[in-house]
Amino acid sequence: MKKVLSSLQILLILLLFYSCKNTGNKGSEFIFPESDSIPVKEAEKLSHEAIDDIVQNIGSPVEMAALLLELKVPFITEHLASIEQAENLSTNSQKALRLGIYGADLGYLNIYEKTGSAVETLSTINKLADGLRVGQFFDFETLKNLAVNKSNIDSLLFLSVRSYNEIDKYLRENDRGYLSALMITGVWLEAQYLACQIVKDYPHLDLKNRIGEQKIIINDLLMLLRPYNESSDEYRELYNDLELLKREYSDVSITYTPGEPETVEKDGRLIVIQNEESTVVISDDVLEGIIQKTEEIRNKIISL
Amino acid sequence: MKRTTIVFITLLLAAFALNAQDQQEMVTDCALSIGGNTTYLKDFVIKLPESTDQGNIPVHKENIYLMKKQRYLFTQCNANDSEGELTIELYDANNLISSSINKNNGRVYSSVEFSCNKTGLYTIWYSFKDGKKGTGVGIVSLLK
Repeated sequence: MKKVLSSLQILLILLLFYSCKNTGNKGSEFIFPESDSIPVKEAEKLSHEAIDDIVQNIGSPVEMAALLLELKVPFITEHLASIEQAENLSTNSQKALRLGIYGADLGYLNIYEKTGSAVETLSTINKLADGLRVGQFFDFETLKNLAVNKSNIDSLLFLSVRSYNEIDKYLRENDRGYLSALMITGVWLEAQYLACQIVKDYPHLDLKNRIGEQKIIINDLLMLLRPYNESSDEYRELYNDLELLKREYSDVSITYTPGEPETVEKDGRLIVIQNEESTVVISDDVLEGIIQKTEEIRNKIISL
Repeated sequence: MKRTTIVFITLLLAAFALNAQDQQEMVTDCALSIGGNTTYLKDFVIKLPESTDQGNIPVHKENIYLMKKQRYLFTQCNANDSEGELTIELYDANNLISSSINKNNGRVYSSVEFSCNKTGLYTIWYSFKDGKKGTGVGIVSLLK
């Protein structure tokens, strides 16, 4: 009996430990380890360290939106992905991609302080995260309250972006890197889609250049997806589509002008100005090809 | 004996749980202390041992994409019990762009603003001043 009690005590302690591990979120939810359909040996073709090297900031849910705001481009609701179909997604791959897409939309909504409209997106993200068993990193109630009350946009942005960072980290650390790769792809693709749609009506040079600069990133994105691209037809199709998008970038050129950085101190803060410069050359025809291909891939994903 | 084992395991697990909670709070406190005019992008929790050799200080490296025409803020916070002071160096390939430590007077800046003019992959080197043992968090945010 004593032996049984001891085992039970240890089990209870373990349960307590795991339930407390992700504090500040849905703390009481215990996550059972799951085995996704991708064989671990596939994922191991690219080491965790190598993936870490690649992924930091590839798909930031807020950077493109921040640029749009800075360029004083108005918010355009029509560019957001529909949330109506999200309930019908059946595979984890579809859910992970869509989680990324809605993450970028959430960043766009929050940066523009359209927090009232963000609640529906938050709710959809919450369901998708639960479906992928990463819901413990998404504190829906706190995020919803922050959005409804418009009380603290900084906290809302911090919590929502950090939730994505934590989901990404958790998936990679738990041999579910293929889902993390899809989520990051979704974030990147939606940000790219928003920029491509907006540049049609607001052909600002900075926005054109930002789209052109994605030539650097799409290579790493493909590297991130490559270890899994034979794992399913769905995955292979996405990979091949992104390869086609990469081809559209072949005539984008990026040149570099050397220069030494300058450092000044102002109000106790160190300010560094980089004088080395990158310059993007992208013709209107090439831009048009990139816009069309991006639109095609993104719309294919959200029509699933 | 069994009771001792259980107490030991309990304490060990509690320590892990507290550590995770402390880290979470440290990141949140640091990110929200930066103030307005910034948008959080990333955080990196850094824990490094004491250096045994001053010429070989332990470093935690992170790669990050930075975009042209964006201003980034790198903020470093130290855990309450950290012996060392967290510093950063920003590298573009092998070229040092900036350091949060003034080599002339030893002053450590808790934040470094970087006006990026070249889109690409950069490496942040986190270490503790003088190779001391330490725990801290580095936050990367976007300046509005």
